[in-house]
Amino acid sequence: MSAADTLPLQRFTVIEVNDRDVPQCLRLATSLAGKIAADLGADVLKIEPPGGDAVRQAPPLLPHGGSALFQFLNTSKRSLVLDLTSATGRTAMDKLLGTADAVLFEEPASIAAKARAGKAVPIEVAAFPVEMDAAAQPVSEFTILATSGLLHMVGEPERKPLRLGGHQASYAAGLTAFTGLAAALAARDAGRHAPGVRVSLAEVMQWVNWKAVSGAEASGVSPGREGTRSEFQIVPCRDGHVAVVYTVTQWPAVRALIGDARLDEMKFATRAGRRQNVGALYEVIRPWFADKTRRKIQALAQAKGVPFGPVFSPAELVEAEQYLARGFFADVAHPTLGTLRLPQLPVQWNGRSFAPRPAPELRA
Amino acid sequence: MSDRPLSGVRVLDFGLLTAGANTSAMLADLGADVLKIESGAYLDPFRVVGKPDNDAGWWNRSPQFRFTNRNKRGLALNLKDPKGQRVIRELAAHCDVVVENFRRGVLDRAGLGYKELNVVNPRLVFAAISSQGDSGPERMNVSFGSTLDATSGIASLTGYDGEEPRISGMDVNYPDQIVSLFAAGVVITAVMEARRSRKGCFLDVSQREVASFTLGEEIVAAASGPKHIARRRGNAGEGIAQQDTYLCGDDRWIAVTAESKRDDLAAFCAERTAAKAAAELLAQGIAAAPCNDGNDLLHDKSLAGVTLVRDDRGQLVKGLPYRLDGDDAIIERAAPDLGQHTEEVLRDLLGYDEAKLEELAKAGVTCATPNAGEI
Repeated sequence: MSAADTLPLQRFTVIEVNDRDVPQCLRLATSLAGKIAADLGADVLKIEPPGGDAVRQAPPLLPHGGSALFQFLNTSKRSLVLDLTSATGRTAMDKLLGTADAVLFEEPASIAAKARAGKAVPIEVAAFPVEMDAAAQPVSEFTILATSGLLHMVGEPERKPLRLGGHQASYAAGLTAFTGLAAALAARDAGRHAPGVRVSLAEVMQWVNWKAVSGAEASGVSPGREGTRSEFQIVPCRDGHVAVVYTVTQWPAVRALIGDARLDEMKFATRAGRRQNVGALYEVIRPWFADKTRRKIQALAQAKGVPFGPVFSPAELVEAEQYLARGFFADVAHPTLGTLRLPQLPVQWNGRSFAPRPAPELRA
Repeated sequence: MSDRPLSGVRVLDFGLLTAGANTSAMLADLGADVLKIESGAYLDPFRVVGKPDNDAGWWNRSPQFRFTNRNKRGLALNLKDPKGQRVIRELAAHCDVVVENFRRGVLDRAGLGYKELNVVNPRLVFAAISSQGDSGPERMNVSFGSTLDATSGIASLTGYDGEEPRISGMDVNYPDQIVSLFAAGVVITAVMEARRSRKGCFLDVSQREVASFTLGEEIVAAASGPKHIARRRGNAGEGIAQQDTYLCGDDRWIAVTAESKRDDLAAFCAERTAAKAAAELLAQGIAAAPCNDGNDLLHDKSLAGVTLVRDDRGQLVKGLPYRLDGDDAIIERAAPDLGQHTEEVLRDLLGYDEAKLEELAKAGVTCATPNAGEI
């Protein structure tokens, strides 16, 4: 950026409508898309129902009250409470829809039909594809992971399927809605027709899980969770766990790293061989990790070009050297909650990060 | 199709595997003209890991490559040869965007980094996608797929109740998949800004940071005090009465999220097929869904929505993560064979004549077959 005070999306106005009775998994996606646009400078006005967005009370909670989830998802926005069940609320909404560049909303929202027909470009978040005709169906992020085949991919083959940690379905959809919003704004900015965007959590997660489909199509058999049958597993070490991961060409480096002659046996020479003998393989390599710390393992592995991954918890990431060196976190002074440490947008633009402003308080 | 969001935008695409190549693919799907650059000595690794056989032309038959690179034109240029580097610099003058996810320093060493290309074309948006970002002590660290499940924090929150952490694994490589969903939007934002200011920019995207960003609330909570300890809780969700997978009578699993405790769920599911159990729970207002696998997704057209589509050769490829104006993905061309459009692009865009093209081919700068062993 040429000047520190200009932000790339600052000439755009976006409304984010949080209506009542919308599944939380859709709300989180809409809010994330709005947050990214707001951190990039768009004037994002969050419309909340009387009493506020339900996410204001959602876990994880902060020690002195307030929701970490809400604080993360609503940075740099303004907030306006509108009762969309009242005539005055709806009139105010109409006015906003006539002046904003884009409107973010969820498919089951009461204002959906109106938002699709207004001058603002509609960016809509839904649970399922149009083809399923399932707008009224009960849904959660967890059932979306099942529908999109991702649950099938994680865990042990003989045990229950497992979800990924965090709000992955909602957030992948939120990132997608942001990119759709950017595309619509770019079209509008170039004087072209701006397409309406519809993002469904189920489609996004299927798209993310495309290798399950390409694998099934190529062999007739779907890839699935492999757990301890996988060539890549997590092993315990002295102070935690490390993910064993490497490419086919990195196998000689892995052998050199572990330095156990048994790894030179022919049965481990090819990927197919290692997969067939994966139990024996891990019997050999596990002990190497047991007496070493994650830091030590990472240093030894990186020195040999081996991409083993130490497992870090969110609490450890707050102190991660790489993140601190890059200034990934912003310490934001919140008027009532004190100082909050927030991850910034995961991009540096000519070396600049986008420091967020604190999420808005609720004003009746 | 001149009125699509990115019509008139041209992308020089050094993207490999998913994170880079898919960012450019998303730009192509919005109307950008994407020129994918490979070389005979270094193919997109997807051409190699996905090859179905070793017969002649194996490098053009990988499903993973086909899924990810449709809607692009393909050029093969040797980036280690100064003549190839000169061609790239000439191409950069005609492009709006560069996307790359090489290891840090690779393009700089070829004289094709942001500094050099910015001189050729000051309006260029240069998106560098890397595992750790372009700065910091771990800038040069290698990573592969699920390395980032571990280092981003996602693995620490994934696992059976109280057991060891889990990665998404090589058939998902989750952190690789979500990067393009964000990076494409940032590139589009920067293209808008470059149009307005007539100045390009350097975008430094760290894949590990993208993955950690998806745990934003956990990081905020962890930083606020030691009282909040994130842990692995199987399929349970904070603030949700009951959430888990249950085995049904037909040996399929279903996922259920219940707002109030339902002690009978395991027995309820065991007595029914997954389809029937899900239907009955949905009718009671409880979120439930069978756990699909790749074949289920492949065969259920209404479930697939816009995510799968066939190219002009009739082969299945990746569709879109979103629907624009109610439309399906538009696949104008199948993924390119290695070097398929080298001559076409150099002729039409740079005005090269036959003699010049022949000279480049003879010198091994351009090619249509791999000229190195396996990667």
